[in-house]
Amino acid sequence: MKKLLFTIAISGILAITSAFTLPTVSKLVTKAGHINFFSHTAVEDISANNYKVVSTLDTATGEVVYSVPMQGFEFEKALMQKHYNSKKFLDTKTFPKAKFKGQITNLEAINFEADGTYNATITGEMNLHGITKAITETATITVSGNKITVETKVNLTLVDYKVAFKGGKPSTNIAKTIEVTSKSEYTKEG
Amino acid sequence: MKKRILKWGLILLVSGIIIGGAVIYFMFNQPHRNIQAATVDYKLEASALVKEFLTDATKANNKYLDEEGESKIIAISGTVASISEDLNNQKVLFLKTETDKAGVSCTFTTETNMNTENFKVGDQASIKGVIRSGAGYDEDLELYEDVILEKCNIIQN
Repeated sequence: MKKLLFTIAISGILAITSAFTLPTVSKLVTKAGHINFFSHTAVEDISANNYKVVSTLDTATGEVVYSVPMQGFEFEKALMQKHYNSKKFLDTKTFPKAKFKGQITNLEAINFEADGTYNATITGEMNLHGITKAITETATITVSGNKITVETKVNLTLVDYKVAFKGGKPSTNIAKTIEVTSKSEYTKEG
Repeated sequence: MKKRILKWGLILLVSGIIIGGAVIYFMFNQPHRNIQAATVDYKLEASALVKEFLTDATKANNKYLDEEGESKIIAISGTVASISEDLNNQKVLFLKTETDKAGVSCTFTTETNMNTENFKVGDQASIKGVIRSGAGYDEDLELYEDVILEKCNIIQN
């Protein structure tokens, strides 16, 4: 009987403690993001920027998600922007969003509670142009007060995502592999 | 006689090259679409636009998005739920009805940012901009994404 009461009391205490600790939000959301892609060939350099990326960072599990509205990429030249959006390239009407879902693989090396700069590796899946591929990104995570900044870098091979051009100007002016960098700023709760 | 034909032929050829070159040059350097100078394609409430995407995303994408990225120009009205700035230092007015699951995020430009100055949360706003993407639930983000409008400006009454 005593043992039973003890068990009930202990589980009661546990239940109360977990009830108070669980609501701590570990998944941070931000709409403050920037993605750039850069293509370099001998003929020309092409760069486009998108400031409308939505992303989440779970500091407890290390999960990161990026959702990118594809029509939000701005090019210097209007014609390039039209080409990029068209069916021949990324077909943004059919595939209006690109998504990356990944996992920080060295989560133990990052202390989200202590100011500092940490190097991270993120592996996950990129969904672009309707095709999903496994990729690994390198990331720099900066913690400063209640602000966490995540910067990532990855090279994407266009042919992997069936973005291929047969002949013509684009095949010589666009690199086969483009460099994609991102920056997202999160604010810690409380 | 022969000389004459040759002369005219040469003139035609040269002018052809010049005109052709100019056409290619202007096509390559064509300016970006001026959203604020263009006519509005659709005029509606933020709530109604969100509802269209949440009801049938494919249908709404077909209606509002353009194959070459020259998507529909929308005049949207609604309640300002938040005011912020993106990483490009552009003002963002977020229109959302409290009971809706998602809203319409309107990003302004360097030229139009100052027109948002007098707005505060709770105000009614009418905004013109180009749609970049629709609203919908994302199971990986675990949240509803908003409709995104860019190149926005306030519609003066």
